[in-house]
Amino acid sequence: MGMLHNLSDLIKVKRDKMTILVLGLNNSGKSTIINHFKKSNEQSAIMVPTVGFLIEQFYTMGVSIKAIDMSGATRYRNLWEHQFKNCQGIIYVIDSSDRMRFVVVKDELDLVLQHPDLCNRIVPILFYGNKSDLDDSLSNVKIAAALGLENIKEKPWHICSSNAVSGEGLDEGVQWLVQQIRFAIMSNRKGGKLKSSQKNKY
Amino acid sequence: MATASASNWLHVDIGDESPQVLSTLSSCLTLSDVQCDGYVRLLAVDISLEEDDEISAKLKVFRGLKLKQEQSLPGIPTAIESLYVDESEPKTPVIAVAIAESVLFYRHFKPYFKFTIPALDAEELELELWRKLPVMKPETHQELLQLLKDVDHAKLSRKTQRLLQLPEQERASFISTHKDSPVGRIGNIVAMCCLRRVSSNVNPPSHLVLAVDTGRVFVLEPQGFNLIYQAKTCSYEAAVPSLISVHGTYETDFCIVIGTRNGGVYLLRKSSSEGQEIIKLSTPLTGLILLPVDQTIVITSMEPRYLCYSKRGKLLYQVQLDAAPVCILPLTLTHLGITLVAVAMQGGRVSFFLQRHVVDEFMMSQTVAAMLYGRMGMEDHVLTLITQTGEINFKILRRVTHFEPDNKVLALTSKGSTKSHPIVDSSILDKSKKSSIFVEQAAREKHQAKSSYGSFQVELWRLRHTAARATLDAINSSESTISGDLTHAPVKLSAEVCGSGPAFRLYLTVQNLSTFKMASNLVVLLHADRRHYTIQQSVARLPSVLPGIPLRVDFEVVAVLDAVDKLPPASLTPDNSQIRVMLLKTGQTKPLIAAVVAMPQSEAAF
Repeated sequence: MGMLHNLSDLIKVKRDKMTILVLGLNNSGKSTIINHFKKSNEQSAIMVPTVGFLIEQFYTMGVSIKAIDMSGATRYRNLWEHQFKNCQGIIYVIDSSDRMRFVVVKDELDLVLQHPDLCNRIVPILFYGNKSDLDDSLSNVKIAAALGLENIKEKPWHICSSNAVSGEGLDEGVQWLVQQIRFAIMSNRKGGKLKSSQKNKY
Repeated sequence: MATASASNWLHVDIGDESPQVLSTLSSCLTLSDVQCDGYVRLLAVDISLEEDDEISAKLKVFRGLKLKQEQSLPGIPTAIESLYVDESEPKTPVIAVAIAESVLFYRHFKPYFKFTIPALDAEELELELWRKLPVMKPETHQELLQLLKDVDHAKLSRKTQRLLQLPEQERASFISTHKDSPVGRIGNIVAMCCLRRVSSNVNPPSHLVLAVDTGRVFVLEPQGFNLIYQAKTCSYEAAVPSLISVHGTYETDFCIVIGTRNGGVYLLRKSSSEGQEIIKLSTPLTGLILLPVDQTIVITSMEPRYLCYSKRGKLLYQVQLDAAPVCILPLTLTHLGITLVAVAMQGGRVSFFLQRHVVDEFMMSQTVAAMLYGRMGMEDHVLTLITQTGEINFKILRRVTHFEPDNKVLALTSKGSTKSHPIVDSSILDKSKKSSIFVEQAAREKHQAKSSYGSFQVELWRLRHTAARATLDAINSSESTISGDLTHAPVKLSAEVCGSGPAFRLYLTVQNLSTFKMASNLVVLLHADRRHYTIQQSVARLPSVLPGIPLRVDFEVVAVLDAVDKLPPASLTPDNSQIRVMLLKTGQTKPLIAAVVAMPQSEAAF
């Protein structure tokens, strides 16, 4: 069944390529999440803090995904905005055990959402409440409340708790994201067609 | 300003968690990677001062917002520090806790070493006393203790101090139990801070600087626990340190700034073993920082003022504060290349100073009692604020910040300050440099004060005499009725006095004798002895006098009569009943004409 599903997917969207931006504060687990999606022979055992950014390619849900793994360190966070133009989806990774920095997470998220390159586009955002295995970790609902996610009206968003080390919850999130990007592409095409037909009218 | 503060600091919401209550001081807070896992934890001493149970202190470790560990301390600490002892990997921090006369070292949160500062030698009298006390009869003790009356209580050892406090019946047993313990004076550590050994990468090994209330300052090397530097705050005993701030590295050069309880600030250098007084304030200090950037000393005082001095004691600037400052903290923002000074004031206001300008401020619900800034957890710029009621607040510096003096606010404050606080704008007087001549002169004046005063007075009288003589000469030389100055139009002055007294009218006629020149800018000045004549208007500015047309001006002159017998004063004689009339030209020092009008004898008034 899965094979069939994959096949049908392949037929539907031939050689789909998507660019996803992976954001989040330092030590939230961005690189570990991407590491999980890579082929087992390409995975690295030791994670080091990313410097600047890395571009990773992986294949999942029948789509080839180009993930831009941004560094979350304070001094590299100003690089995030340069990638906003050419991304189709955003993964925002949150360390759900670091309560103290939720306020920073929210502040950085607000900066991302208010950026002119993103605020007028429909870009789906996937939140990972990472490190769900830790004792101090908060539930999805609490994270969503703390970050005020309900105020994001114009963009589709989804939050799922994850454990990047074991891979728990990661696939569910990416599945949602891929679907949303497809919707967005389709609606864009429709919109494009509509626009072109309108152009022809006048 | 409110919007600026909202954008610079993010307030960490403690949320539904039960709030931790901490009563502590700024010196009893530190940040340390105690577990060596890269997560910097907050270490705080919680001093419980509740009346019903005994005063005790606990060292608490917070991971993020949560209390993770706590340990009871054997006394009330004055300061705690986290330092690295050596370069060995993995780097393990050591926690130093200063309690009374000792420093307790904790490694991996386990007691590891106790260092006690050396005792000072006791007074000879006191030693003698303790030799005698055990062998003498208890009845004679009181007499012996009377001998100590003249010794300053603070200079006695603790043992003796305690003995003096005891009632007489308990003294004998106290003496018998303590007769063999050493007689020595041990100070209490009042302040402690870290001094890096060499300037190197992050977390370099450090030494500890200890300030003791006997006025001594030590540098303790925490590997072999040796005192590698000893100094005195100042040459006399009275200076009791209360605040210290250190800059530099031990191996190259360092300086220690010490604030004392009575408002003095002393500077100690590596090369000297005695502090040098740089400032003496009349009000107590509440905070002292030696800023690493421009090597200036920032002080908050109870006046309330925020002052900045150079290391030589020159006042660079001062700012009047609205409320009494409680604590002060330097914030080195390396990513912005600036160092701010946070000042927490009574009432809950926290202001951030960039040099003399307030660049940011926010209000807390209560007065902030302790502050700490640095890397905490995974975040580099965390400001911890503990209020007087013990509430812990965390503020995180935003990535996008601006710390610039707001021009509008700046203009406003400077405008307001001139009205309300003249002190803010009172610029520091530009005193001349102390040249060798100045110094010599000052010394000479000090030594021969009497003779230099005398010679000054002689010279002053001589000057006055010369001036008076010059004036007389000038008046006498032009004593005529026609001006003799050839460069101007010749002017003739004539006068007549009308009336019989005591009110007279003095008519002056000014006539231009020239045929073509105009006499302009003339002023008439009347001068009479104040005891004899009263002149309502003694100066008259004359209009231009044209040739041939005489100008007539009149003045009212009233002779002074005694109120009782209505007679002129006895000093008025026909010889000096005169009024001097001077015709002056503006811009010229010498009068054109100086004439004397003889006044008639005044009739008595009825």
